[in-house]
Amino acid sequence: MQFLESIGVALKSLIANKLRSILTLIGVIIGVMTVIAVVSIIAGMNKYVADQISSLGSTTFFVDAGWRTIMSEEDYLKVLKRKEFTLQDMEAVKKGCPLCWKVGAEMVAYRKVKYREKYLSDVEIDGSTANITEISDINLSSGRYPSEFENLHNRRVALIGWEVADNLFPGQDPLEKDIKIGNYYFRVVGVAEKRGTFLGISQDNFVMIPITTFNKLFGTKRFLAIFVKVESFGSMQEAQDQVRLVLRARRHVPYDKPDDFAIMTSDTFMELYRNFTSTAFIVMIGVSSIALVVGGIVIMNIMLVSVTERTREIGIRKAVGAKKKNILWQFLVEAVTVALVGGLIGVILGSIIAKIVAATTPLPAAIEAWSVITGLIIATSVGLFFGIFPAVKAAKLDPIACLRYE
Amino acid sequence: MIKTQNLWKIYEIGNEKVQVQALRGVDLEVEKGEYLAIMGPSGSGKSTLMNLIGCLDTPTQGEYYLNSRLVSQMNDDELAFIRNKEIGFVFQTFNLLPRATALHNVELPLIYNGTESKERIQKAKKALEMVDLTDRITHKPNELSGGERQRVAIARAIVNNPSLILADEPTGNLDTATGAEIMKLVDRLHSEGNTIILITHEADIAAHAHRAIHLRDGKIEQDEKVK
Ligand SMILES: Nc1ncnc2c1ncn2[C@@H]1O[C@H](COP(=O)(O)OP(=O)(O)OP(=O)(O)O)[C@@H](O)[C@H]1O
Ligand SMILES: [Mg+2]
Repeated sequence: MQFLESIGVALKSLIANKLRSILTLIGVIIGVMTVIAVVSIIAGMNKYVADQISSLGSTTFFVDAGWRTIMSEEDYLKVLKRKEFTLQDMEAVKKGCPLCWKVGAEMVAYRKVKYREKYLSDVEIDGSTANITEISDINLSSGRYPSEFENLHNRRVALIGWEVADNLFPGQDPLEKDIKIGNYYFRVVGVAEKRGTFLGISQDNFVMIPITTFNKLFGTKRFLAIFVKVESFGSMQEAQDQVRLVLRARRHVPYDKPDDFAIMTSDTFMELYRNFTSTAFIVMIGVSSIALVVGGIVIMNIMLVSVTERTREIGIRKAVGAKKKNILWQFLVEAVTVALVGGLIGVILGSIIAKIVAATTPLPAAIEAWSVITGLIIATSVGLFFGIFPAVKAAKLDPIACLRYE
Repeated sequence: MIKTQNLWKIYEIGNEKVQVQALRGVDLEVEKGEYLAIMGPSGSGKSTLMNLIGCLDTPTQGEYYLNSRLVSQMNDDELAFIRNKEIGFVFQTFNLLPRATALHNVELPLIYNGTESKERIQKAKKALEMVDLTDRITHKPNELSGGERQRVAIARAIVNNPSLILADEPTGNLDTATGAEIMKLVDRLHSEGNTIILITHEADIAAHAHRAIHLRDGKIEQDEKVK
């Protein structure tokens, strides 16, 4: 009863003084809003990235000169100076790594792709060994993969991504049609299943052709990545060590120098991604804790004013039998109610922001129950922490002094 | 029912060692069912004595027994318990919660002894009926006249069936006619068996009581039967 009464008093005075309430609550609102928005966006990304990265599989790794792990301009300049991998390197890995079950390679270029008068510019052209489809999963929606035979004889066949098919062949079957990649015609033999977008980049805007054909038509000086699949997760580490040994020898890396290439597993990407999100988390914690402390101090101030304004009320309550703890609870509940209202508004605004971000940018968002609960717990704690001092002050007041108070 | 022995109250003002001896050795006994007026000039210590009797304050020296319990050494929360159970206050300035309805104001003492909401409302309504305010229960203090406010305060004082009703100048803020009405109500409470202590300047108000004590400079100067 006392609880309900105190909550009522808090809500009534919040409604009665709207402007003051907004000013009172703004700190808590911003604090909780930041938490909810950032946590929702990061949670959304986590889900998405984990999905994407795990599609690489736990028994697969790949090696490149370092392009995929560039985090700074410095990295970039370093990688730029490195020697690119070649198909000979891939062959060497095949020989020198008995634990490598399947070894493939992929090169990448960007070209215009055309069918009759329809075309897409800057399509990712992947020159791949035939076994790449067994190493990293690309599922077919129709047709077949380019074969080993076609690879050996650098045939001009292509597996096209869903988006390419959709754009060049609306309402048509692309199979056995001839598309033009750069200046060369290729026959479409397969269409891949839709894969969606990753951080705003379409995963379906690609054409896969045999790597030998790629070498012949688009040159050999392209980023080449060597893909390796091992038979079981247990041999991942050892296989990587074997590959490292082979490649360091071929690239003449002195024993006391680090690798001049990068070996990547799904864990590597997870790691990179975590580094990125932990930065976001730190920024969030900074912004929200400043806002929450400011918000808490404002609440404390408002509660002190409220205690003074209601000195007589405190006297009356004490005269009719309120104990210290009754008064303490009354003002604590009030402070927590105020903070919780701020927290609720923060949760709502934070969710709206997360939704807007998800709708207008490539970033996904997932509003999770635990983040909402965390937001409300944070608000409650702010209310309790900053409400305790005014409440104790109120509880300690002398009843006679209060009754005399003008 | 009330017994005080050599009650002293000394106020210390500020950090200078100025002392005000508001009560200087008061011995007072009040029996159950008495109707007592405390009189005396301004500053003689009437309100101070009432605060002690009402357990709002503790004496600097001396002993106070209420219903044979030694009150003068209790802590704040024990005093709060006694106030809730044994004492009903009526103040000159009414002291109602400004934002609460008449009903809620009367409920207040019951809230602090944990009475359930149904019973509480029932008891509060009954107390308001006793003071003839059945049709004003949802009014806030600023929607009530002075006399009605004091009646709400009286209802609050009696709602918990206290053993003692303390009234500090209950008619001080009211005009003569309204004051007379309030005194009629106080008389009625007495006739229903309540013990009443009434503080007043005015002789004709004090005349309602059956016994009057006169304070002067913190001491009982005179203790007389009134009739
Ligand atoms: N909290 C206090 N601090 C210091 N002195 C006080 C305090 N309360 C009362 N006094 C002093 O104690 C004396 C008695 O005061 P009290 O309020 O009991 O008088 P009273 O008889 O009720 O007077 P009145 O008829 O004007 O209400 C006065 O001199 C007053 O100034
Ligand atoms: Mg007085």
